[in-house]
Amino acid sequence: MVISPVHYIVAPLLAAFAIALLAKIYKNAARLVPGIVLFYNIIVSLVLMPQVLEKGMISEVIAGWKAPWGINLVLTPFSAFLATSVSVIGFAIWLYGYKFKVRLKGGEVKYYEILQMMMIAGSLGVIITGDLFNMFVFIEIVGITAYSLTAFYRGRDGAEASFKYLLIGSLASTFLLLGILIIYTQTGTLNMAQIAERMPMVPQTMKITALIFFLIALGIEAEMFPMNGWAPDAYSQAPSPTSAVFAAVVSVAGVYALIRVTFTLFDVEGIHQYLIVMGFVTMLVAEISAVAQANLKRMLAYSSLGQMGLVLIAFGIGSHLAVFGAIFLMLNHAVIKALLFMSGSYFIYNSEDKRLVGLNGIHKRLPFVSAIFSIAAFAIVGFPPFSGFWSKFYILIAAGDKNMIILIIGILMVTIIELVYYLRTVARIYFYKDEVEHTEHRPSINAIISMSFMTLFIIVIGVYPDLISGYLHQAADSLLDKANYIQHILK
Amino acid sequence: MMEFSEIFFKYKDLISIAVYGTAIMLIIIGLYGVLLKKHLVKIAIGLSIMDSGINLLFVAVGYIQNGTAPIFSPGHEGDVAKMVDPVPQALVLTAIVIGFAVTALALSLIIRLYKHHHTANIDQINSLKW
Repeated sequence: MVISPVHYIVAPLLAAFAIALLAKIYKNAARLVPGIVLFYNIIVSLVLMPQVLEKGMISEVIAGWKAPWGINLVLTPFSAFLATSVSVIGFAIWLYGYKFKVRLKGGEVKYYEILQMMMIAGSLGVIITGDLFNMFVFIEIVGITAYSLTAFYRGRDGAEASFKYLLIGSLASTFLLLGILIIYTQTGTLNMAQIAERMPMVPQTMKITALIFFLIALGIEAEMFPMNGWAPDAYSQAPSPTSAVFAAVVSVAGVYALIRVTFTLFDVEGIHQYLIVMGFVTMLVAEISAVAQANLKRMLAYSSLGQMGLVLIAFGIGSHLAVFGAIFLMLNHAVIKALLFMSGSYFIYNSEDKRLVGLNGIHKRLPFVSAIFSIAAFAIVGFPPFSGFWSKFYILIAAGDKNMIILIIGILMVTIIELVYYLRTVARIYFYKDEVEHTEHRPSINAIISMSFMTLFIIVIGVYPDLISGYLHQAADSLLDKANYIQHILK
Repeated sequence: MMEFSEIFFKYKDLISIAVYGTAIMLIIIGLYGVLLKKHLVKIAIGLSIMDSGINLLFVAVGYIQNGTAPIFSPGHEGDVAKMVDPVPQALVLTAIVIGFAVTALALSLIIRLYKHHHTANIDQINSLKW
C-alpha cells in the first residue's frame, strides 16, 4: 500500500464512522480505535516527512482530475510539519484521556470519540488541502464538532457556551463564503495555487473586499481580537481532553488557514502591519483578561489567545527568522498548552469547583502533576531551559532585525503580565495553605506516561533546539516561497 | 397582451438585478435577525435566512441568460459558452447541507437552554461572562 497525504484525513474520518459500528461488536473498541488511527497517522508522517523535505512538496491529486480542475491536497514542509505535530499531540491527548473516558457512562464514550476524531480529521484537512472551498468544508467540520463537544456535558453553561460559539462560527462561515464567492467570480477558480497566480489581475477594490471578508471569518477561527469571545467559554466548558485539543489542534488549524490565505493568496500591501497590530492587541487584551480570571481553565484559555496573538505578530514581521519563530511558537504552544490543560484538569477534578482557590497547597496531594504544571507554566512564559524560551527569543531577534523597538518593549511587557498570573498560580500550588478536605483523584498511569513524554519533549527541545530547527527552517522557506508553490502545483 | 416570455426577455436586466438584490436583502435580513433579535429561535431563523441569501447569491453568479444545463449531449457539443457554470451549484449543495447541520444543532441547543433556564430570551441567559 502506498502511503499518501490523503491518509491523514481518510483514516480518522473512516474511524469516526467505524466507531459507531465497532462499538456494537466490542465495547472497548470506541476507546481503542482512535489511538490506533492516530498512531497510524504518526506512521504516515514518518513516511511522508522525509519525502516532503527531499522533494520540497507533495501534491496529491484526488479522483484523477489534475489541479486546477480537480481538488488537490498539498503537503508543503510547513503543512507537513503541522500535520505531524497535530498527529503526535492528538495521540498524546488520546493516551491521556483513555482512563478519563472510562468515567463517562457507556453510551457517551462513543459519541465523544466520534466527535473528537471528526475534529482532528477536519483540522488535518484544513492544514493539507489545496482548494479554497475544500478548506471551508473542513473548517465547518471542525466547527460543528467543536460546538457539539463544547455542549458535551449536559449542563446549562455548556449549552450556553456552545450556542455562543455556534452563533459566531456561523457568522464566520457566512463571511468566508462571501469571500470565496468574490474570489471565484474574479479569478474563476477555487484552486489556491491558481488563485495566487491570477491574483495580480484582480482589481484592487475586489481584492480588498474579499480580504476583509477572509480576515473576519478566519480571524474568528484563529482567535484574533475582537472576535475571540467564544474561546474562553468553549475552552472552559468542554471536557478537559477536548480543551487540550482546542488549544493544540483547532487553533493551529485556524492560524494555518489565516496565514495560508493572507500569505499565499493575496498580495495586498499593509497586511503585515495589520497582522502585527491585531496580534498585539489580541495579546494585550487576552493577557490582561487572564490576570483577572478566577477560573483555572478560563485563565489558560485567555493565555492561549495571548500566544496566538504573538504567533500573528511573528507572521506579521514576515522575515525568514520571524516565520521560523512563529512556527516554532505554534509547535510549543500546542505541546505546552495541551500539557497545561492536561495537568490543570487533575487539579479541577481534585477541587470542588473550577476556581483557582482550589489549587491552594495541592502539591502535597498531587506532587507529580504539580511539578508538570509548574514546568509547563515556566515553559510557556519562556524561561531558558525550556523550549518556550527559544520561540520567543527568535521572534524578539527578528523584531530587532527590523528595528521594531516599540514592538519588542510591548512583547516583553506583556510577558511580565503573563509571568504574574502563572507565578501566582504556581505559588498557590506550592506555598499556600490548604484548609479544606478533599476527595482524591490520583492521575492514572496512562496520563502519567503521556504527560511525562510531553514534558520530556519540552526539556529536550529546550536544551537542543537544533533537533527540529532544520525542519522549521524548511517550513519557513516553503511558506515564504509563493512562486514555488504555484509552479509546483500547476506544472 | 404580451406573453410572459416576452416580458421576461424585455426586462431581463431588471430580473438579474432583482435576483442579486433579493440575495443581498436576505443576507441583511438574516444579519439583522442574528444581531438584534433577543429570542433564541428568531436568531436561529436569522441564521437560516442568511444561509439562503448566500446560496441564492452563489447560484446567481453562475447563471447565464438563456443558458442550458451543463451536460454534454449529442448534437449540443458547441453550446459550451451557453452552459451555466456548474461549480457554484455544486458549492451550493454543500453549503445547504452544512447550513442544515448547523441549524439542527442550534435548535437542539436552544431546546436544552430552554429546559435549563425556562426562557428563550438571550438577555436572561447570562451565567457565563463574555
